[in-house]
Amino acid sequence: MSSLSATIQGVFNEPGCGKNTNKSEAERKKGCTKQLQPGGAAGGCAFDGAKIALQPLTDVAHLVHGPIACEGNSWDNRGARSSGSNIWRTGFTTDINETDVVFGGEKRLFKAIREIIEKYDPPAVFVYQTCVPAMIGDDINAVCKAAREKFGKPVIPINSPGFVGPKNLGNKLAGEAILDHVIGTEEPDYTTPYDINIIGEYNLSGELWQVKPLLDELGIRILSCLSGDGKYREVAYSHRARAAMMVCSKAMINVARKMEERYGIPFFEGSFYGIGDTSDSLREISRLLVERGAPDELLGRTEALIAREEARAWAAIEPYKPRFKGKKVLLITGGVKSWSVVAALQEAGLELVGTSVKKSTREDKEKIKELMGQDAHMIEDMTPREMYKMLKDARADIMLSGGRSQFVALKAAMPWLDINQERHHAYMGYVGMVELVRQIDKALYNPIWEQVRRAAPWDDASQSWQARAIAQMDAEAATLAADPERAEAVRRARKICNCKSVDLGTIEDAIAAHGLTMVESVREHTEASGGCGACTERIEGVIASLSAKMKPAALVAAE
Amino acid sequence: MTQNAEHVLDHFDLFRGPEYQQMLANKKKMFENPRDPAEVERVREWAKTPEYREKNFAREALTVNPAKACQPLGAVFAAVGFESTIPFVHGSQGCVAYYRSHFSRHFKEPSSCVSSSMTEDAAVFGGLNNMIDGLANTYNMYKPKMIAVSTTCMAEVIGDDLNAFIKTAKEKGSVPEEYDVPFAHTPAFVGSHVTGYDNVMKGILEHFWDGKAGTAPKLERQPNESINFIGGFDGYTVGNLREIKRLLGLMGVEHTILGDNSDVWDTPTDGEFRMYDGGTTLEEAANAVHAKATISMQEFCTEKTLGLAAAHGQEVVAFNHPVGVAATDRFLMEIARITGKGIPEELARERGRLVDAVADSSAHIHGKKFAIYGDPDLCLGLAAFLLELGAEPTHVLATNGSKAWAEKVQALFDSSPFGKDCHVYPGKDLWHMRSLLFTEPVDFLIGNTYGKYLERDTGTPLIRIGFPIFDRHHHHRYPVWGYQGAMNVLVWILDRIFDEIDRNTNVPAKTDYSFDIIR
Repeated sequence: MSSLSATIQGVFNEPGCGKNTNKSEAERKKGCTKQLQPGGAAGGCAFDGAKIALQPLTDVAHLVHGPIACEGNSWDNRGARSSGSNIWRTGFTTDINETDVVFGGEKRLFKAIREIIEKYDPPAVFVYQTCVPAMIGDDINAVCKAAREKFGKPVIPINSPGFVGPKNLGNKLAGEAILDHVIGTEEPDYTTPYDINIIGEYNLSGELWQVKPLLDELGIRILSCLSGDGKYREVAYSHRARAAMMVCSKAMINVARKMEERYGIPFFEGSFYGIGDTSDSLREISRLLVERGAPDELLGRTEALIAREEARAWAAIEPYKPRFKGKKVLLITGGVKSWSVVAALQEAGLELVGTSVKKSTREDKEKIKELMGQDAHMIEDMTPREMYKMLKDARADIMLSGGRSQFVALKAAMPWLDINQERHHAYMGYVGMVELVRQIDKALYNPIWEQVRRAAPWDDASQSWQARAIAQMDAEAATLAADPERAEAVRRARKICNCKSVDLGTIEDAIAAHGLTMVESVREHTEASGGCGACTERIEGVIASLSAKMKPAALVAAE
Repeated sequence: MTQNAEHVLDHFDLFRGPEYQQMLANKKKMFENPRDPAEVERVREWAKTPEYREKNFAREALTVNPAKACQPLGAVFAAVGFESTIPFVHGSQGCVAYYRSHFSRHFKEPSSCVSSSMTEDAAVFGGLNNMIDGLANTYNMYKPKMIAVSTTCMAEVIGDDLNAFIKTAKEKGSVPEEYDVPFAHTPAFVGSHVTGYDNVMKGILEHFWDGKAGTAPKLERQPNESINFIGGFDGYTVGNLREIKRLLGLMGVEHTILGDNSDVWDTPTDGEFRMYDGGTTLEEAANAVHAKATISMQEFCTEKTLGLAAAHGQEVVAFNHPVGVAATDRFLMEIARITGKGIPEELARERGRLVDAVADSSAHIHGKKFAIYGDPDLCLGLAAFLLELGAEPTHVLATNGSKAWAEKVQALFDSSPFGKDCHVYPGKDLWHMRSLLFTEPVDFLIGNTYGKYLERDTGTPLIRIGFPIFDRHHHHRYPVWGYQGAMNVLVWILDRIFDEIDRNTNVPAKTDYSFDIIR
């Protein structure tokens, strides 16, 4: 087994991940991410995941080993912010050509590293593997090692070629590279009892800088941030931190957990999105630091700061509340943690009508339920037609989404606000929350939405695509209502497990026939959840609803 | 070395050399009675205060940096829109040289126009002889199909009677009896270039429709299905009229563009000099009387002309330089209503694309404050578009704006929540605008080339939309009407907004943490 596949297997075995620990040995080997569906529109690759996770390290030369495609499309595409060096924004690539593909690109890579060091002398060079050199067998670990020895400079191989899997896997592989080659290789000039690491935070739109002053005021030092506005050396000595906060759980949980294992740095998962969450995170940081030996009085100072900042933020949000009264938000997001945004929006008095859970972990979903109540309407994959219907039925006034779904929203005539990485406003911390509210207010009251929704004056309103879509949906619903048998068939035909193509009816029948109560036994009988495992929760839901239905029957029988 | 034949410096660089700098400094010191720089600075700062603004707005007699031009300029603009027509300005030739250079600098094209070259003699004894000789010379030298006569102030002050003069000139054989010489009185001390446009347009139509100054029978109107279309005085006439022709063509509307100067101000470089090109034919101008309706894109450019059309029994519809989704909707729906033609799918798609583009980018414009100055209709059209985008046209100023115009702008403000804090300034000039920009700053200024001084002094970024645009080339070739025209305006505004964001973030190691490739 090559070292890359070993690393990938290692990443799949993540004890810090609740979902993962519940899996059988065989499942775990298959990986923790949904298999990509050939022919389906998909997200970024593992290379992209690795690149975006580490790219915000500002003083590092990020060298992409591959044909122009990989760097050409990813060069400087993130809105991270640097307070120092800007070399991270320079696009370095080996831009390999046909000859390299035939004879191997290792020499070119080595030369490229040399030229970077000669011309730019960065504290470190990160070399990103991509599909083509990986397939032709370029050994970037060996080249990096040779370069490191030759030039006396850290040259870090980031072994995450695109074909190994999706973006999220790339995030983790980047973390592994940092764990293996960077963390613990240098020592800080001094340490304090107030040193923390922030993991999985990218300083998009300079967000971290909205929180940093609060930490500064408390005397808490960000020893290292992985990777927003981070510097190579900071990451290299980050093992001396007293505590860590993990911001984006799916991206870098392996880093946080292994640093706890190796260096005894306790971590918590937190968020700076939303007033309550920011306060909780500040409390948690202080608590962990005090547990690790910082003076007790930090807790009191933290509470005082929280009280002051919360009051300020509430006062700034207050004027918006009347404008938000009765306004409903449809939240479709992956990058920014759904649940933390949910809390934030509720604080502003907005009503949440749904949230997408595509990239959320099970804990995230639980948190959403906790915040929004049991009937949280979570939307896994919405079509424009459905989005429009929500809007039309006045079940949503605005959609908050990432950059890619914005266009879907637009075609569905849905107001939207961009809250993913390409957004132009910073929403972190107390002030960020006020900014988010301000931006939502702006978006809600942007006159252009009315224009977007209004049909051209010469159009017959009853013939617009919106009207036709609604009519079609209504017609479908009406047919089903009139035909209970067909409605039941449609209900039962809903796919629960996509990998093994198992529908609801099959699962229900199996549960009823065999009195199943566990997902494992459902799997044995139907194969459902035997693929990627993403439907486990849906199956649990089916079991729960069936048992609720059957209970009264059982009671009747018992009497 | 001041200048070197081996390497000749242009004025950008030459006078920055030490010897020139020294010379200029000495001159200032020794001969110019220099003021204390601190005092200069104090006054400069004082001129930015509300106190100064109050004094500035109390001006009664003096106009400083006017945003308008004279009637004859508009007269020439209208006249060149007719086939092989030469504008003949009765008055002093200096004025005419101004119109020609003005148009040439804006359209980057030659602009032909003649004058009767009145001198002191003519001023004292009247310009009849100049008219007689002038018409004869023009007719013989330039072989026009029509000579459209307008006036400068000089002729107006002494009260030359164009009708009588032209009649006399014809009697004297300057031009054949039946030759078309429409005329209009266009004194610069009344109104502005938009008035001059109106007067000449009306004069030409009246000439053809109402019996050629008593030399022919009046035309009997036989209503048909055609519509007349008048663009008004418009710096984008080249792009706009071509776009209008395309739109009306797509709809299958039979139409006559009155005053089509889109070709004469955009002639190809192919070895042939065209003194005249394109334009409304004289036959079309005459037949326009039979049209079902006359549509004006600029109400305040065509008040009298529309009155004439209405008096001949045509339906008249006036717009205010319509820009944007709703404005174009209204325009097309009116055409559809009048002609009974449907909106073709192609236009529906163009509309959808504009709506899409607006929605994609409106967040950058929404909430921004703008100051606009320009001709009355353009101000209205742009202000309406900004309101549609959720921007605030905080200051809207037209030196040639009337009270009626101001009321219309106010009504527009009142129709949108974004117009709440906006104000209209009729009859004010660019020095008033300067005070407005200092005391109530806005994010962007929309105006013509002269706005660059305001941009420099106040730091308000200028978006060049209007007439004249001397210091940027070829924008007049793009339409601002129709959905595609609105798209152009949207892009110009956005370009400036993004330029500004870049400019504010481009200092290396200081602000460039936000110098992003994705905006």
